[in-house]
Amino acid sequence: MSEPNQSIAMGHSAAMEPSPYAIPSRKLAMWLFILSDACTFGALLFAYGYLRTASPNWPTPFKFFPSILNVIIMTVVLITSSLTMLGAVDASKSGEKSKALRWLGVTMVLGAIFAILHIREWAGLIHEGVRLFENPWGSSLFGASFFSITGLHLLHVISGVIAMAVIARGYSRGSLTAGHVESTALYWHFVDIVWMFVVPLVYLMSIARP
Amino acid sequence: MSDASAPVAHQHAAPTGLLRKYVFSLDHKMIGKQYYGLALVSVFLGMILSWLMRFHLVWTNAAIPGLRLLSKNGAPGGVMTPEYYLSLLTMHGTLMVFFVLTNAPFAGFGNYFLPIQIGAEDMAFPRFNMMSFWVTFVAFLVLIASFFIPDGPPISGWTAYAPLSAVGKDAGPGLAWGQNLWAISIGLFCVGQLLGSLNFIATTLDLRTKGMTLSRLPISTWAWFITSCIGLLAFAVLLPACVLLILDRVAGTSFFIPAGLVISDHLQPHSGGSPLLWQHLFWFFGHPEVYIAIVPAMGIVSHILMASMRKPLLSVKVVYGSMIAIGFLSYMVWGHHMFLSGMNPFSALVFSFPTLIITIPATIITMIWIGSIYGANLRFHTPALFSLGFVSVFVAGGVSGFFLAQPSLDIYLHGTYFVVGHFHMVMGVAAIFGILAGTYFWFPKMSGRMMNDTLGKIHFWLTFIGVYCIFMPFHFLGFAGNVRRYSTFVDDYLQPLLPLHKFISIAAFLTGAAQLIFLYNLIYSRFKGAPAPENPWEATSLEWSTTSPPPFDNFGGRHVVVKRGPNEYGVDGAHGDFIMQDSPEPEPAAGD
Amino acid sequence: MEDSSSGKRGIGRYIPVYVLLLALSGLQVFLAYTRLDRNRLLASMLAVAIFSAALAIMYFMHMAQERRSFFWSLIPATIFVLLMMNMIWSDSFRLLHMRPF
Repeated sequence: MSEPNQSIAMGHSAAMEPSPYAIPSRKLAMWLFILSDACTFGALLFAYGYLRTASPNWPTPFKFFPSILNVIIMTVVLITSSLTMLGAVDASKSGEKSKALRWLGVTMVLGAIFAILHIREWAGLIHEGVRLFENPWGSSLFGASFFSITGLHLLHVISGVIAMAVIARGYSRGSLTAGHVESTALYWHFVDIVWMFVVPLVYLMSIARP
Repeated sequence: MSDASAPVAHQHAAPTGLLRKYVFSLDHKMIGKQYYGLALVSVFLGMILSWLMRFHLVWTNAAIPGLRLLSKNGAPGGVMTPEYYLSLLTMHGTLMVFFVLTNAPFAGFGNYFLPIQIGAEDMAFPRFNMMSFWVTFVAFLVLIASFFIPDGPPISGWTAYAPLSAVGKDAGPGLAWGQNLWAISIGLFCVGQLLGSLNFIATTLDLRTKGMTLSRLPISTWAWFITSCIGLLAFAVLLPACVLLILDRVAGTSFFIPAGLVISDHLQPHSGGSPLLWQHLFWFFGHPEVYIAIVPAMGIVSHILMASMRKPLLSVKVVYGSMIAIGFLSYMVWGHHMFLSGMNPFSALVFSFPTLIITIPATIITMIWIGSIYGANLRFHTPALFSLGFVSVFVAGGVSGFFLAQPSLDIYLHGTYFVVGHFHMVMGVAAIFGILAGTYFWFPKMSGRMMNDTLGKIHFWLTFIGVYCIFMPFHFLGFAGNVRRYSTFVDDYLQPLLPLHKFISIAAFLTGAAQLIFLYNLIYSRFKGAPAPENPWEATSLEWSTTSPPPFDNFGGRHVVVKRGPNEYGVDGAHGDFIMQDSPEPEPAAGD
Repeated sequence: MEDSSSGKRGIGRYIPVYVLLLALSGLQVFLAYTRLDRNRLLASMLAVAIFSAALAIMYFMHMAQERRSFFWSLIPATIFVLLMMNMIWSDSFRLLHMRPF
């Protein structure tokens, strides 16, 4: 641990019982938020599976080009952004401020690329006639569940990018610490993990077969 | 949030401005009082709604003065329409379950006393704490706003069963904007509770003062901690359910609207979804919610019982274990609310089994209470009476749970007043008794003044007898086949039951009126009550070792060091028969 | 909590996990284009996804470096809650033909 976190731990030990996990409260709170968010996404994905198995005419419209290829690119972008986020965490822990800010910047750019690719994909599907309440291929729930699941994920990506911008600003001014960068990184990796489930369940299970 | 250098996570200085001190306060004590006040407003509002309903059930055609002013369409000439009866039913249930049973015992008392009981100066994240209250408050305003829109509150019940809740105004009054407001309100409420639960867990784990190990936490703190663990994951499931419901209503999706649904001679344009899915998502949250209401009450009651019995419970560790077991099991049993829903009959059997299992930890806790009371030299002050009342109604209401856990019996009973009697006893009244016990117990600490004990005892006996008169007959009505959610009883087979209904209604009016004694006591004692000493109940936990009310930083700059567990009653100490947790006296040899 | 004192700095040490995650994502796409039947496909892709998630939690989110008690108090409870949601399937599968099984 770097200096600020260490002094929290020491301050704890003087007057208080140590945290059972020896981590700052902020990190614990971020983990708790992630777990509850995991249940939110879990419930949404279970609802999707429930509706899909109960529908006789669930469409499987995704062709390799453009949809699946786009998803592959998005996945690579998102996993890479997790890696660059780790760069920011590492640099901030060892006090290399400008390096950490550079890595944060790269991560934000990658997150924004992901969001743009996603919105472009949405635009393509909307152009093909997919709406929340109808689509040209089958059960109207396809569009509803597709847009709500990917929409919630996209909302997480966009708010993650905004959070990173806020954290980067505070960190460069010195009002926020390496601990803040670390918590944001936890959130960002979680967004990545959700995507690992969204891709197979929403996209790969709906591949158009010749 | 915590700064790097401070020894404890509490930085903000005592606020001086009116707005910072009383409205947007970061102080956990003020936030706790705000939650409690919100619950108090909600409980009286909900009670008035139940009066209106009980009046209408028995004197169906009599006009209720003033009701016309509340809703022109819903109560033309002061007589409520059947639909408006359902609107009031919805609002009664929503207010009571969300804004009373969740807010008061968990968020209210928890916010006020959890940090003090662990020797902290504030919660881990005071700003989140303030946000969680204000989000909840906005949720309350949004819900109440549905009274003042033209078609009134929704008629779909506090469970908002789809497709009724999902299809819009074709299905009845209140299902246009009223239901939207309901869904938005509950969605916001989820966010507030998530923030609160997260904060409770982080506070309990990280801000304990020196010596306050996990095994030395008072039992009420344990209960709040376990409850926040349940709430963290349960409210996370209701939130997306509310979002999907809102999408169904405003964006034209059909998650919860089945195919070929004709309502008011109008084929619904969107179809293909499953109404059962709403019930699954709702009850996946809904059953843990029952325990979110009752576990804090269990903790409060255990805490108070120990102080009035002057001895520890037979085994607090078993009570902790049982609470944790209840927490896990609460996620396995939600299907028992759905036996009548057309759910797979095979899974009804599967849900029935853990439902019966979950009675075991609840029974163990009850047995420990009763076994501990046996032979104790009880001090019959008002909080103790309400705690004993809690045990009584919890058992009386819990026993009917055995009937309802069997799918075969439940299919007959679930649509009747039997279920209404069951959950009002075991969840509603029991948790309310927990809240009242907590109020009489902690009021001296919160306000610095004692509540009037005689008025409290009168209030207890009227309420205790009253709730039995109201809710016990519900079970008989249910056995007789009296269907619930009817606004009037015109069928022949229900006519013989009307006198019983009349009895229940009168009991409800009187019991409700008895609550005015409580309100009077609360307000009078707040300003004119006898000044409270530091430790009026001779209890051991840390909140009693500070002044009444506690100073802004809870212990006036004193650094509390905890020396022993919270249940040191009935020991031969230097002062009386108890030892405070932070008492510097040496441990007596015979100590437990 | 000795992550700062031991091990090399920089993101280099995460490269193996990163490559593995990319490979697992590739494996998912590959599986999707094999001729597996729908149920096996779902099961195998979910298994891969769970493995990827575990890798990301343990190494990217540093769960492997936290105390064991942290892992044991957070992860099993969440998995338990998510597993319990599986009880909804008995209804969804039969909605098409309205039979108990």
